[in-house]
Amino acid sequence: MQDFDFIETPENVELQRRLAGIGTRFIAGLLDNLIIFTSLLVVALIGILAGAWGLTKYPELGGVVIGLLMVVFFLVYWGYFVFFEMVTNGQSPGKKSQRIRVVKDGGGAITFVDIAIRNLLRAVDFIGFYAVAGLCMFLTRKSQRLGDLAAGTLVVSEAVSDYSAKSGKRRKAVGRWEDEATAGVLRATQLMPEEYRALLSYWRRRGELTVAARHRLLDRLVRPILRRTGQLDDAETLQSLEYKLELLMQRAFEAKASELASPEGPLE
Amino acid sequence: MSATKFLETRKPAWDELESLLKAAGRKGSAGLTDEQLYRVTRLYPAVAVDVARARMLEIDPLTQAHINRLAIAAHGMLYRRRHSRPAKAVWRFLGHDYPRLFRRLWAYVLLATAIFLIGALGAYAAVRGDPDTARLFVPRGLDVQDSGQVTAEDISERYRRAPKTLMAGMITTNNIQVSFFAFALGALAGVGTCWVLLTNGMMLGGFVGHFANHELTYEVCSFLIPHGALEIFAILVAAAAGLRMGLSLAVPGSQTRLASLRAGAREAVLLVLGTIPMFLVAGCIESFVTPSYLSGGTKISIGLLVLATAMAYLCGSGRSAWPSAAPEGHAATGAAST
Repeated sequence: MQDFDFIETPENVELQRRLAGIGTRFIAGLLDNLIIFTSLLVVALIGILAGAWGLTKYPELGGVVIGLLMVVFFLVYWGYFVFFEMVTNGQSPGKKSQRIRVVKDGGGAITFVDIAIRNLLRAVDFIGFYAVAGLCMFLTRKSQRLGDLAAGTLVVSEAVSDYSAKSGKRRKAVGRWEDEATAGVLRATQLMPEEYRALLSYWRRRGELTVAARHRLLDRLVRPILRRTGQLDDAETLQSLEYKLELLMQRAFEAKASELASPEGPLE
Repeated sequence: MSATKFLETRKPAWDELESLLKAAGRKGSAGLTDEQLYRVTRLYPAVAVDVARARMLEIDPLTQAHINRLAIAAHGMLYRRRHSRPAKAVWRFLGHDYPRLFRRLWAYVLLATAIFLIGALGAYAAVRGDPDTARLFVPRGLDVQDSGQVTAEDISERYRRAPKTLMAGMITTNNIQVSFFAFALGALAGVGTCWVLLTNGMMLGGFVGHFANHELTYEVCSFLIPHGALEIFAILVAAAAGLRMGLSLAVPGSQTRLASLRAGAREAVLLVLGTIPMFLVAGCIESFVTPSYLSGGTKISIGLLVLATAMAYLCGSGRSAWPSAAPEGHAATGAAST
């Protein structure tokens, strides 16, 4: 199992999609089945009441009503997923609530045939209350149930995830080679170690911040530091501040890189 | 190009694409004017490249994800088949594609029939040999031993008492459901479909054998054939779809197993969906003709005639090219040319 699916576009760019997890899909399925079950219950109740009423008064009409309700029963049971996935381009109400969507493996929108295959095969996936589906999703790389495999579809998550937490983890794993404020870096940038760390952390997080927060930090954090090191013109705009910072960080990274590359090791 | 400059110069394009995608909404490319659609076709390739550049420049993950999402949404909108009108598609499917599909897959129908016959003849022979085994195959209420002399007329009487619309609705939906299961269970390498075929065959064989034991063969035929001829045929076709899919999984040939399953499922699902009209016809006959007071001979001829019509349709239609067979194109190229 993997977390992402990749589409290779005709433009030779790899786009990523986050796959929906088994848990999310299970909850979505539970909700959908709950909706189906409830509506069938309502239909059955109406059928019993209408049938009982009709049979006492107009015997022929009671039969008609029950016959119609059988058809409705059938349509709801087999048509629910097909209808919603067709109308909403792959989102049954349960899936919508979990912000997941059925898409074509390899990119593109799903067609009626895809939807028909994956939802008719639901009958097999459903064996053991989705035990077959669960097993199949567990065994396949892209978490596909049997119906997905046959139809060539997958379910992706459209929820905006908390990237800050995730990327924090990744950064640690990659190893923060530029983290330490070594002598070379400080010489090149004329910063104090704390200043370097503060600027570095702003630099990394700047894209995750709102524009307002960015402006505030540029004003209160970056401007004073640059003023102290004397790299500040008086008529500095926020954009030029950020550009200055970029140049500064570049200088720092270059210094760091040359330190690491030199055979003597860091100059301490 | 520096990351900051990249963000600043490209942001307007992303915003424009985003607003266009929002404007398109659920309808996709159909929800845009030609001019807007043209803008999307211009913006999308550039944004797709931005995804790669953003990755290279290592700009922040949230922005990367945002551009990536935009590119995916635009990609999904542009690279999709042109939609035809549902009614038109159904008409073309039934008038042209389905008979051709049937003729391509007739061997599977033959295989399904063979498996069905094994069950039916086996049960028939068993019941003829030992009448007591009929209990295994015949529904309790129709048991001759239990209720004395039940004739086929009595079975028809049972039908006549029930409201006809109720019967039609119940029988048709039940039959379609059986055919769906016969198809879907084919995903278990065809084993499930064989099980459906064998059990249904045994039920029929045992049922006929049971009445044959009481010398009611003609009566039971005049009861079964009017609707059963088409109904059983349709179930065999649905089971053939299950076998098609199951065998594509079990015996993939030179393809990978997954690719083979996908190709098989694609053909098979259409084969099973095309049985729905047959079940509708059979259901109507079962609720209106079977319980009627027509003579046995008339009923049997109606049943055989209906089956012959279905066969003629499946073997005969769709031989020439469909008149308005438009080549499949992408929505973008299709819309841009209009």
